[in-house]
Amino acid sequence: MSGISLKGISKRYSDEVLAVDDIDLEIESGEFVTLVGPSGCGKTTTLRTIAGFEKPTAGEVHIGGKNVTDAPPYERNTGMVFQDFALFPHLTVHENVAYGMEADGGYTDEEIDSRVQEMLELVELPDTADRKPAQLSGGQQQRIALARALAPKPDALLLDEPLASLDKKLREQMQVELRRIQQEVGITTVFVTHNQEEALTMSDRLAVMNGGKFEQVGPPGDVYDEPETRFVADFIGTANIFDGTVTESADGVASVDCGDVTVLSAARADTAVGDAVSVVARPERFEFDSATADGGATDGRNVFEGEVTFRRHLGSSVEYRVETSDEREIVVVRKSGLDEHEPGDQVTVSVDADNCRLVST
Amino acid sequence: MATETSTSSSESGRAGLKRNAKYYILSYPLAWLVFVFLVPLGMLFMFSFWVHVPGTGYEPGFTLENYTRFFTSIYVDQLWVTLELALVTALASLALGYPLAYYLARIDRPVLRNVLLITIVSSLWITYVIRAYAWQVILASRGILSSLGVATGVLETHQAFYPGYWGLVVGMVYVFLPFMVLSLYSSIRNLDGELLEASKNLGAGPLRTFRKVTLPLTKNGIASGTSLVFILALGSYVLPRLLGTPAQRTLPVLIEQQVMSESNYPFGAAMSIMLILVMLLFLWAIVRIANVSAANIGAGDALSDDDEPAVSASSGLSSVRGLLGSASAAVGLTAVYDRVTSTLSDVVASVDSGTRESVIGATFRAYVAAVMVFIGAPLAIIVAVSFTPEEFLTFPPGGFSMRWYVEFFTNPAWVRSLVNSLTIAAGAALLATSIGGILAFTLDRFDYRFGALIGMFGVMPILVPPVIIAVAFLVFFLQIGLTGSRVGIAVAHGIFYAPLPFILITQGLGELDRTYEEAAMNLGASPVRTIRTVTYPLLRANVVSGALFAFILSLNEYIIAWLLSLFLVKTIPIQIFNQLRYSYPPTIAAASTVFILLTVVVMTAIDRLSGGIWE
Repeated sequence: MSGISLKGISKRYSDEVLAVDDIDLEIESGEFVTLVGPSGCGKTTTLRTIAGFEKPTAGEVHIGGKNVTDAPPYERNTGMVFQDFALFPHLTVHENVAYGMEADGGYTDEEIDSRVQEMLELVELPDTADRKPAQLSGGQQQRIALARALAPKPDALLLDEPLASLDKKLREQMQVELRRIQQEVGITTVFVTHNQEEALTMSDRLAVMNGGKFEQVGPPGDVYDEPETRFVADFIGTANIFDGTVTESADGVASVDCGDVTVLSAARADTAVGDAVSVVARPERFEFDSATADGGATDGRNVFEGEVTFRRHLGSSVEYRVETSDEREIVVVRKSGLDEHEPGDQVTVSVDADNCRLVST
Repeated sequence: MATETSTSSSESGRAGLKRNAKYYILSYPLAWLVFVFLVPLGMLFMFSFWVHVPGTGYEPGFTLENYTRFFTSIYVDQLWVTLELALVTALASLALGYPLAYYLARIDRPVLRNVLLITIVSSLWITYVIRAYAWQVILASRGILSSLGVATGVLETHQAFYPGYWGLVVGMVYVFLPFMVLSLYSSIRNLDGELLEASKNLGAGPLRTFRKVTLPLTKNGIASGTSLVFILALGSYVLPRLLGTPAQRTLPVLIEQQVMSESNYPFGAAMSIMLILVMLLFLWAIVRIANVSAANIGAGDALSDDDEPAVSASSGLSSVRGLLGSASAAVGLTAVYDRVTSTLSDVVASVDSGTRESVIGATFRAYVAAVMVFIGAPLAIIVAVSFTPEEFLTFPPGGFSMRWYVEFFTNPAWVRSLVNSLTIAAGAALLATSIGGILAFTLDRFDYRFGALIGMFGVMPILVPPVIIAVAFLVFFLQIGLTGSRVGIAVAHGIFYAPLPFILITQGLGELDRTYEEAAMNLGASPVRTIRTVTYPLLRANVVSGALFAFILSLNEYIIAWLLSLFLVKTIPIQIFNQLRYSYPPTIAAASTVFILLTVVVMTAIDRLSGGIWE
């Protein structure tokens, strides 16, 4: 049992700068949790607080049920992979991977050697032991950094944007690889990234951070499909967002007055007339309608007329940008091969109210 | 409950220790710098007001007599001589150094550049005594220059070019030129090559590009190089002593004379304080007028068309008699330079650009080669004459013999000097590195209220002219009984050269990525283990280079060692210097060659260690 729990963690750097603002998080043993958010949201500070490089202004950090709030980094038994890997340039790969076990002092030379080899095989680089970090490619360095972090059998694996310095192709490959290794070892993992796609593809749960607080914590599917806040909807994935005020709420459908247009959305239990809300509709929930309708809300659908201004292929799908007469831009994503439209085409797009979600502004 | 109390008390205990630890660690370098650098300087100041008692030395008291004597005697005239000499040296070094530095910074041949740089940098560290000696060999009657002159028929009879003003200037330029070249080199290296291409692309020829782009953009290097050489020349003792006549006795020479020959410590101290004041005045003036003068240097047109900036620039120094003459000479030089370049422009404009570029290129390379010969030849000559089989120095040497090396390594006096030099240098290197290294580390890792100030304090010793720090150490060591011993000299050198390891290690710490240390701690390494296995190995090049620099400088240092030796300890530079006073046994050349070799080996080691520090 080696979960991590953060209890009321705050980190204040100065009177003005409150990097982390009273956050709570329970991470279960073996779970992969991603902290995601824009730069300056406090995610790295949170990770460094778990590692012990930052001392929280308030709150407690528990690892494996033990309060480590006051323990220095070297007594915490976490394994961290740094953004630029921080492989010791003067040591060989073997010496790098062995470093943690040697510092521990509780291993014999044979144990260290076999563990290092085991780790190198785990990251599929068994023949690099005698090389220096500078002789490795970026992707190899990143695997060695992972091997080094895992070698002393840490209670938790901490990853600080480890994929940020890799190119796109390698990054995607490493996402899969990292997840495979994490599941193979079964280690509790906290991953920090500003890349929402990484967060969605890798985690058991993700915690979206903004301004030092968690906006939402949950499994990727939930966060994507059921964002709690406008920020989450906007940050995770692409979203069409309509800001307005609830004018009516009946039969599970809320009408939201967004100025020039009224948008229908699935209501929520706590929806009340007069609330300032945002309606979120994911691009792939839209459809092109052949028949021209009036625009606005009809039959539980939101219908918009406009002109295709931009089109780009995303591979398996096509993204369109449609500008409506009231100068709203609606992003629509359709599978390629279905109803193709050219820029300049007049189109009608619609989305079902059930596929729209009310979030707090 | 009970556990909680015990945890919190042990926490505060550890935190309390940490808080104090940062002061404990700092106290080591600080104690050295305060008690063995600041206190001696304070004593020097105090001594300058004490009363000289002919015969017995000095006694405590308060008198301004030492200062009034300075201003009402021939000594003040020698101050102007000192200043003029320093100015001429600085300007001549600039004229010789700029093309060389430009060439080094711009050539695309790394091997050649490294060879040239190593030559320049190596000669920089070799004791002034040997380098002055080299010029004695060249300039003496029946010396190399004279012999060449007679042989080629230029001279009718043998003629001595030293001691004398111009012989001294040549020697001074020779020893200080490397400082100028290195200052300019880094400044020109920083110049973006694309700017020069842009200028040429816009239609400016090489000369115009140089005048309008290169020169203005390297004015900082010019200002710092010129100031550095000027300051170093002001404090120079060995060269005026060995290459000048009594008319060129500079302030440092007079100070040494008062202390060592006259035993008039108070007057020597007063002159030291005067020299410091002159330097501070100069530095103040440089800061005040740096922009104006740098602009003048940058745009030759402005100076000749409108002499106002020149007047304002020199007005700060206008009271300095003798300087005006040199300054106007400098202005004259600029005018000449302008005329020459414009004539050159006219000439080169009339030929096609291909020929123009190749002529400029060839002239430029010839000039650079000549300057390199000027830098490299003297030491090569010393090495060559060390193999003479004859009793006296001759050039060219009439044969090949190792007899003077045998003499050097078997003569007890020389061997003792060598051992002294090496042990003093080793002790000095250890002390300097411990002071500089610990100071650098504590200032990098902890916050102190006056951290920046302490950092400046850490580089101060090297800024004080050696002759002055020598007198300060002497009056201090006389009180605590450390004169005339190797320990005293090693301590003095250790303090004086501590800034080198300090600067190098500070730089290394600044470039060190702290993530490595975090990674080590994350892997369970305690702070001590982290320093041992990660921080130190990553800093080793800086630490060892710092120690080697201190070693090599101590090895080659003359004036501090000489004053503190009180005739009892002889190092190699002291031994060579003493021998030069009486005769010229070729053993000196052999000793010098051994020393040059030692210096080059250490320099190369430093360069290897840091993967080309001059890049």
